[in-house]
Amino acid sequence: MSVTNLLDNWAAVRHFHPIDDKPHDPYKWAMAIDLDACIGCNACAVACYAENNLPVVGREKFKHGQVMHWMRIERYWEEDGRDFPDQGFQFLPMMCQQCEAAPCETVCPVGATNHTQDGLNSQIYNRCIGSRYCSANCPFKVRYFNWYDYPTTENVWPAEMNYQLNPDVTVRGKGVMEKCTFCVQRLRAAEVTAKGEGRIVREGEVQTACQQSCPTGAISFGNLVDPESRVHKQWQAQQVDLDKDAQEKNQKEGGTDLRGYRILEELRSYPSVMYLERVRESAV
Amino acid sequence: MIDSDSVKNLAGHPFDRRDFLKVLGWGGAAAALSGCGNTSIEDGKETVVSYVEAKDYVIPGVAVYFNSTCAQCDAGCSITGKIREGRVLKLEGNPESPINKGKLCGLGQAAVQHHYNPDRVREPLLRKGDKGEAISWEKAYALINEKLAGVKGEEIALLSGDVSGHQKVLLGNYMDSLGSKNHFVYEAVSPAVVRAANLKFYGVEMPRYRIDKAKVVLSFGADFLGTWVSPVHFAQQYAAFRKGVDGQRGVLIQAESKMTLTGANADRWLAVRPGTEGILALGIINALGVSTGDVAELVKDYDKARVSRDTGVEPSNIDKIAALLKLRSPSLVLAGGAAEGYVHGMQNAAAINLLNQVLGNVGKTIEAPVSVPFPQMAPSKGRTAALKDLNDGLAAGKYKVLFNVATNPVFTAPASYKFRDNMAKAGFKVAFAHYLDETALQADLVLPLDSEMEDWGTHVPEYLADTVQINIQQPLMERLHANTRGMGDILLALVKQRRAEEYKAFDDYYGYLRSAVLQNKAALGGAGSDDDTFWNDTLSNGIVKLSGASGALSLKVDVSGLKLPAPKEIDEQYPMNLIPAVTSNLRDGRHTNQPWIQESPDPLTTIVWDSWVEMHPKMALQLGIVEGDIVKVTSKTGSVSAQVYLFPGIYPDAVSIPIGRGHDAMGRYAKGYGVNPFEIMDAVFESATGELAMHETRVNITKTGQRVIVVKDEGPAGGRQMGRKIAARVSTDQVDLSKEV
Repeated sequence: MSVTNLLDNWAAVRHFHPIDDKPHDPYKWAMAIDLDACIGCNACAVACYAENNLPVVGREKFKHGQVMHWMRIERYWEEDGRDFPDQGFQFLPMMCQQCEAAPCETVCPVGATNHTQDGLNSQIYNRCIGSRYCSANCPFKVRYFNWYDYPTTENVWPAEMNYQLNPDVTVRGKGVMEKCTFCVQRLRAAEVTAKGEGRIVREGEVQTACQQSCPTGAISFGNLVDPESRVHKQWQAQQVDLDKDAQEKNQKEGGTDLRGYRILEELRSYPSVMYLERVRESAV
Repeated sequence: MIDSDSVKNLAGHPFDRRDFLKVLGWGGAAAALSGCGNTSIEDGKETVVSYVEAKDYVIPGVAVYFNSTCAQCDAGCSITGKIREGRVLKLEGNPESPINKGKLCGLGQAAVQHHYNPDRVREPLLRKGDKGEAISWEKAYALINEKLAGVKGEEIALLSGDVSGHQKVLLGNYMDSLGSKNHFVYEAVSPAVVRAANLKFYGVEMPRYRIDKAKVVLSFGADFLGTWVSPVHFAQQYAAFRKGVDGQRGVLIQAESKMTLTGANADRWLAVRPGTEGILALGIINALGVSTGDVAELVKDYDKARVSRDTGVEPSNIDKIAALLKLRSPSLVLAGGAAEGYVHGMQNAAAINLLNQVLGNVGKTIEAPVSVPFPQMAPSKGRTAALKDLNDGLAAGKYKVLFNVATNPVFTAPASYKFRDNMAKAGFKVAFAHYLDETALQADLVLPLDSEMEDWGTHVPEYLADTVQINIQQPLMERLHANTRGMGDILLALVKQRRAEEYKAFDDYYGYLRSAVLQNKAALGGAGSDDDTFWNDTLSNGIVKLSGASGALSLKVDVSGLKLPAPKEIDEQYPMNLIPAVTSNLRDGRHTNQPWIQESPDPLTTIVWDSWVEMHPKMALQLGIVEGDIVKVTSKTGSVSAQVYLFPGIYPDAVSIPIGRGHDAMGRYAKGYGVNPFEIMDAVFESATGELAMHETRVNITKTGQRVIVVKDEGPAGGRQMGRKIAARVSTDQVDLSKEV
């Protein structure tokens, strides 16, 4: 298969999750992050450490790029020859984008990373053999590998500190890949409760840890196929479609006056996270 | 319904403890931790024992939630702790609090690591030479009593940080019982000069700022999103401000010499020559051209050309800002740490306040605070001048007994104070401490405190968002270590040594608090309900809200004393300004031993686990310095060496070192990481208030020839996006915000 053929017939080659006979019913978890509200304070990242039993790797391992932050704040500034970043910095909370056609999934030799019915890119820890192909293939670089057995590493969870570990989340051992799960433990609990009551999870019933702590409410999270959800309304208002690799609004002459976009959308991984562009005042 | 007895039991009541909530939790943790191997339960070393009689609100596997108050800083955010099998796992914001409305910052999240910290002090320790010998509490109390015998009241000093609520009441009563008036309230990082300027201008120290009502916010170094006064509350106001009043998105302009987190979020960030914030404020008043009389007279010399020359801000920017402020009203002007840290800090703050008055913001975006109806419980706010007074007294040998309530002045006093040596002059030093930090190590007796998740308390925040609120602190789990005590319990035991009769009705601080709250039930909104119901409701809510009177600000515009010095000439020997940066994670360094804080990247530089010297790339080029070079930063007082990080958000004549690292004690996660800028800070003071002028230190930079790899989160591309649309930005004239959800 030539590259041209592959590119031209991508849809036929690459399945989009979930495949046709199993539509997103009743859930498709998705996110919208307003970069104009995000102040880069790191509250979300620390909340993620607390919720998901992330190890603190320490200075030396951090230096070697072995940090395990599922959620990180990327920070950029425009250089364009000016002396000062006089319109401030740009912050971007980056975590697994829960791609619908996730590049990480196709390369896993053991099928440890999968797509779930409710639209998550899941990681099965005890199936993972640590080939790290998924991480190599991730365009967002949001997969983190356990190079060490952190539970037994000195000063990661010394006595008493381990009491803080969340019993709803597995503590990962050496040799497995891990990443943001959209707080799947919270989603499952809410889904099961709702199912027991014969309904679906209502808007606002479940929050991710990052969303819950965010002081400016920059992160919204919910069920994209629920017309009542804020996320659904935001995606719709911003005219961002989950299954497009180029949004129609951008094709129009003169571009768009909406600020919703997905990162590296053109790679056709169909991310489930929409960002809203940071806004800067033109009058000053 | 939880009756008061059960709550007492859950809390691990010190004199009435029960071994409840103990067994199940630890077994679960061991299983989770040991991965594939056998757990101690499987090995038969431990046994799983079920409750003989399970409490009806403890279901294994199901979390319960209790409300309390965050004590990581003094903003007074209310928290909800998630507790499972007797262990507190995670903290969330309490949605019922008008201050944080369900949100919590990273520092607050990390409080669980303070509670579970492996380096906490666990036993009362008495100095035996270089070692601490574990003693019993009875012995410790007896020792204090013995050491106080024959000591006059004026020879006793007590140092604490910000304090409010019943702890403040007990502290006051204890000092009173000793006949001492020497309670020094000290915070290393506090907006004390701004408070003094506000008091003079508005008649109150801390008015209510309404960022959410403002259309333009002009902030002179007030890092209200990161570190200033009540950051989580202001971040929420900021979100509303960006959404806009009448659909018009708020505009943030930040003027400061070193970019703060707030500056990084500004629409326009202005690099200001250090110390000239007041000049810029007067320059803007001049450019507005609307003032008359005294004010016009005051600002007439501050024309654009001069102001631009003095401050380094381009004339076109002054015009644009003045035009915007005229066009969009109301606005809000804030004075922060960067403006107040100079000898003329008060003058800077006064000039900035004057700008608010000229713009007509007073009463619109600056409102009178509600007054706390119980002055005995109202917060006492720390000042750096208090430490100076204490230090002078210690140096003169005035104090024989020194109590230190969990502050760390050996770490946060400028080196020239010689605080460590002066502290030694007090014959008997008692430190109430969580860690063996630099100050506790100098004490003769170290008394281990409960964490905020084990202790009782009431707190009244200084910055009240809405109504008056008394925040309740209650244990979220049983005491982790048998021999720590709550500060309230300690104070009660100590005050009983003096005034047994008055306090005999109270077995412990819990009983004292309960009686205190119930005694005033009617005033606290509990008229008509019975004691148990009201007390349980109070604990369950975690907040007592009261309606407080909020008058008008008594504005006093007097510009006669306002006089700003010309920018300082460059000192040949020490050509650079040192800006000790207060960062949102580290603050004054009391939380450095919490690993999440150490590994949470600094938002601006993304550096972790270490200190750095921020330097403008232009200046670095001039000095031949590249990222990672270890430089020696020398002031008149001393020198420190640290890695350089090239950072464009700083005035080129300045360098910045963050506060909070450089501990040589405290614990495994803090000790030995980074440098402490207090070691090179000159002891220069603000002229009107006597506060430490933290930004007045001048330094020179020399290369040491060593170079390291800076440990940071950003990649090799630094701040660049390499042509990709990653973190995108759009200007207001290209976007339609009206259709947004």
